[in-house]
Amino acid sequence: MPALPSFVPYLIHTLFPPWVRRPTEIGAEIMMTAGGAFIVYWLLKNKKLQWLWNEWLTTVDHKKIGIMYLVAAIIMLGRGGLDALMLRTNLAMPTLHFINASEYNEVFTTHGTIMVFFMAMPLIFALFNVVVPLQIGSRDVAFPRLNAISFWLFAFAAALFNLSFVVGGSPNAGWTAYPPLTELAFNHTVGENYYFVSLLMTGIGTTITGINFLVTILRMRAPGMTFMKMPLFTWATLNTSVLILFAFPPLTIALLESLLDRVAGTTFFGLAHGGMPMMYVNLFWLFGHPEVYILVLPAFGVFSEVVATFSRKKLFGYPSMVLSMTAIMVLAYGTWVHHFFTMGAGPAVNVFFGLSTMLIAIPTGVKVFNWILTMWGGRLQFTTPMLYFLAMIPTFVIGGATGVMLGAVPADYQFHNSYFLVAHFHEVLIGGTVFGLLAGVYYWWPKMFGYKLNDHQGKWAFWLFAGGFWPTFIPQYWLGLEGMTRRMYTYPFGMGWHTLNVISTIGGFIMGAGFLVLVSNVLRSRLHREVDATGDPWDGRTLEWSIPSPAPEYNFAVIPTVDERDWWWEEKQRRQSGEKPAGPKPEDIRPIAIPKNTPVPILLGAAFFLGAFGLVFTWWPVALTGLAGVFGVLIYSWFQYDHYRILSAGEIRETEELLGRLGA
Amino acid sequence: MNGGDEQHERAIEPGFEFISPRFEEPKFPMHQVWGYAASLVLTFAALWMTVNRIMSPSVLLGVVLAMAVGQAALQLGVFMHVRESRGPAWHLVPLGLAFAIGIGLVGMSAWIMLFKSGVS
Repeated sequence: MPALPSFVPYLIHTLFPPWVRRPTEIGAEIMMTAGGAFIVYWLLKNKKLQWLWNEWLTTVDHKKIGIMYLVAAIIMLGRGGLDALMLRTNLAMPTLHFINASEYNEVFTTHGTIMVFFMAMPLIFALFNVVVPLQIGSRDVAFPRLNAISFWLFAFAAALFNLSFVVGGSPNAGWTAYPPLTELAFNHTVGENYYFVSLLMTGIGTTITGINFLVTILRMRAPGMTFMKMPLFTWATLNTSVLILFAFPPLTIALLESLLDRVAGTTFFGLAHGGMPMMYVNLFWLFGHPEVYILVLPAFGVFSEVVATFSRKKLFGYPSMVLSMTAIMVLAYGTWVHHFFTMGAGPAVNVFFGLSTMLIAIPTGVKVFNWILTMWGGRLQFTTPMLYFLAMIPTFVIGGATGVMLGAVPADYQFHNSYFLVAHFHEVLIGGTVFGLLAGVYYWWPKMFGYKLNDHQGKWAFWLFAGGFWPTFIPQYWLGLEGMTRRMYTYPFGMGWHTLNVISTIGGFIMGAGFLVLVSNVLRSRLHREVDATGDPWDGRTLEWSIPSPAPEYNFAVIPTVDERDWWWEEKQRRQSGEKPAGPKPEDIRPIAIPKNTPVPILLGAAFFLGAFGLVFTWWPVALTGLAGVFGVLIYSWFQYDHYRILSAGEIRETEELLGRLGA
Repeated sequence: MNGGDEQHERAIEPGFEFISPRFEEPKFPMHQVWGYAASLVLTFAALWMTVNRIMSPSVLLGVVLAMAVGQAALQLGVFMHVRESRGPAWHLVPLGLAFAIGIGLVGMSAWIMLFKSGVS
């Protein structure tokens, strides 16, 4: 038998080391390969490749990009949730070694990273993309092609991060990736390289998205929509974009320097040569605390829309809502040290940041009171989004109050890194962000697809998810007070932690069942869709409900002139009373320039992916090939001049006629 | 020289004169040449001072930070033409906010990391 070329065993050893040859990894590998093969087979059999390329992979339409973000986020929610259930299973009983210590480290790292960067962020961008241009009366975002580049950088980064599970090994230093644990001397596998490289990649995409929506909202609002007439979700997007713009640079620096420590032999955060590990912690939380508000402000925006629509009242205290949201945005930059009080920067520093932390509870409280007062005297409709809103109030109040407890410096020395902290941030991130985003998905689903998600099944999913939430996380406060620290993979008998952990695990599985019902809700609602021809199934208040669902590619045949805060609500009254015609006049319709599809974004993402993969394994020729690919795609795009195609007024009139939208 | 736009028919509010329109089109970009030389000097001077440790670390930190701010101003003013605009230069107002946040973050980070517990 001829000997294998020497690079074959090297490749096998590097790509598939022993720690990715465990049953879970091999199972995942088989599932991923089979799933991928099935998708390719289905596409080929139904001759869908061309359709996929033209309609989705090369699109620059913000509505389609939003839907792709949504699909990716739901898949990632499944993966992150599976990780969570593995963790909870391991902790159900004392000394239960369902997975071993090193695997546990990997799973809690990927759980946190995926949930924050590859589930919550894309779900937020899904809503930004789908809603904001429609809500401000715009035809697209300011930079449609950059928008597609953002998405593909995220998508390839998410693929790269998930690849670590089966090729080379997962990262294992927690979602915060503190040095010195991430330094090469203490962590030989390529896992942390995957973490740094994929987060850098998705970070570029996120920054571009922040800039894109900032410019879109500042420059592309419909005539008459002054700042104080903007819908609250648009305000939330504006504030979130500002947070992204200033929060991501410190993260980029922290990740880049950590990566250089690992692949280029520097010691920015090592212990030798004057390296400063705590500087990483400082930089990480300079990003990390604004990130918390990047995650929660969009949810606040969703709740403000949902509560007004389903109370059939205008939002109570609009100016104070805007003011408090902006105050949160500014204050978010001044609280980051509360994540590392125990570093011991001294009483002056800690007291300053403890007080600024407590200060931020005031604007948040203002918002909660305004939502409650919006419901006061309203005609409430208990639809699925409204239920998520109602479930948010108690969870967010408790989560916020325990946050203030954590902000009290002396007490924080006790709570720090205990399950009390774990319970706190899950309570605000699930009770605030995830409930908010799910409410938004249910609320805007008809706008995206033209049919509602079944409300009955949606309520089942809601009761399982929100009902499982309380038994999962409330016991963890007590576990923390009883001394259980985060990230421990098992615990001995006789600590008194057993009962509470069992309850928590049961709650976790109820939430998992809720996720499955949610997915089946999506699939069944698609199979048995009840088409909504009105475009306004909830009797909404803002501009996006004034156009058909799903919105035509040009969004608005005629851009409306906005004169009221809840413009569409007022417009409906005017149309009913016959004061105004019900739709755009045919003679007002003008030709519209639509940005053309382009393969540049997906090719750029693929080139980044190749370079990043080379960087992970420090295969410099591969990394440089990827870099050359990036430049190649950019140069190709420089010589494309013809970016728009013109949709004639006749075509638009025909489309509007078919949708029954033309006014007399 | 001001561009011939119609936009600046609207008078600039008192107190906002610094955003009034202004646009320069010199024959030779002398500003940029000087700006490039000055950026190189600032960069290499900072590197040289740090490598040779010519003063105590805290003084050096202050000097390097001051040079960084100067460098940022130079880049924005000379190469990004931040003062120039055919209409009112509204972008100067949020830029001030950006500077405030940036200086706040850098300043507070320096304050936080100056602790003397011997961790690093």
